[in-house]
Amino acid sequence: MKWPRVILLAVVVALGAWAWVALHPGPERLIRRRLDKIAQAASFGPNQGYLAKLSGAQSLADFCATNIDVNIDIPGRQEHRLAGREDVQQAALALRASVAGVTVTFPDATVVVNADKESAVADLTVEGHVAGEHDMIVQEVKLTLQKIDGQWLIVKAETVRTLK
Amino acid sequence: MIETKSGPGQERRSGNWLQIVAIGRNPKTTLIRAAVLAVVFVVVFKWMLLPVRVQGISMTPTYADHSFHFVNRLTYLWSPPKRGDVVGIRLTPPQGLSAPHIMYFKRIVGLPGESISFASGRVLVDGQPLDEPYEKGPCDWNTDAVTLGADEYFVVGDNRSMAKEEHVFGRAERNRIVGKALL
Repeated sequence: MKWPRVILLAVVVALGAWAWVALHPGPERLIRRRLDKIAQAASFGPNQGYLAKLSGAQSLADFCATNIDVNIDIPGRQEHRLAGREDVQQAALALRASVAGVTVTFPDATVVVNADKESAVADLTVEGHVAGEHDMIVQEVKLTLQKIDGQWLIVKAETVRTLK
Repeated sequence: MIETKSGPGQERRSGNWLQIVAIGRNPKTTLIRAAVLAVVFVVVFKWMLLPVRVQGISMTPTYADHSFHFVNRLTYLWSPPKRGDVVGIRLTPPQGLSAPHIMYFKRIVGLPGESISFASGRVLVDGQPLDEPYEKGPCDWNTDAVTLGADEYFVVGDNRSMAKEEHVFGRAERNRIVGKALL
C-alpha cells in the first residue's frame, strides 16, 4: 500500500471515530452538555415580562426531579432549603422578581458517573454576576443527578464549603 | 545615459524587504518557529504558569483588587507548601491535568498536624502567636482551635480588618492547592 493511501485510510478512520463519539456521547459528556443548559436556564437578562420570567423559572425547574432537595448554606448568609420542583420554580421566580439580571456559568466542573451509569455526581464552581453589582459570586456546589425516563435530572443540590 | 533607481529591480527589492519583515527569509522556518512558539505559549500559560486576576479585597494590601498575577503550578511538584506562601486554591476537586479557571487566593498559616486558632486577631499555631509582617490592619477575630489533618493546610487572606463572616478562610486539602503565587 502506498503512503498516500495509508494517510487517507488513517484520516477516514479518525473521522469515523470522531463521528461515532459525537453521535454516541457517553454519560459524562451528556451531563456536561446538560450543565451548560442549566447555566443558561439559570441566567436571565433585565426587562423581562412576567410571562418570560415564569417561562424561565419553569425551564430551570424542568432540569430538576420532582422530589429534588436543595440546601444552600453560604457563610454569613441565611440558610435556605427547598424541597420539590415546585419550590425551585417559586424560588427562581422570586429571584427573577428581585434582581434585574443574573449571568451564571460553571467554569470548572468535575463529573463522576457511578458504576450503574444511572446516577452521577457533579462538583461545580458556580460563577454568578448580578446585574448592577461589582463583585461576582463564586461558590462550590455539588449536584447529584439521576437518569429518570432517559433524562439526567438533579435530585440533590447543595453548597459546599471549599475551606472547612 | 543616466540610470534611475526606480524600475522593476527596485520593485523586486522592495517586495523582498516586505516579505522578509512579514514572513522572514525562509517562510518554512518562520512557520515552524511560529508553531513552536504557539505550542510553548499554550503549554506554559495553560498548564504551568496560570494567569490570574484578583477579584475582591481579602488579600489586600499584599494583592490589590483587580491586580494581575501568575500561579506557578510547578512549585509544589517536588516540595510541599510552606507557611507564608500565597497559594491558589481550586474550588472543585481536581480531575486530570486541567487547570481551574477560578481559584481562591490565600496565604498558608498552618501546616499539617498543627492546631490553629485566632485570639484577639492573632494567629496562634499550637498555642504560640505567629509573626505575620504582611498583616497590617486591625483585627479582632477569635476562633476555636482546629487541628489540621495529615493532608490539610490552614489558609487565610491578609486583610483581617474585614468581618470574619465575610472572609473565606479555613482548612484546604493538599490536592486543592494549585500552586504558589508568582509576583
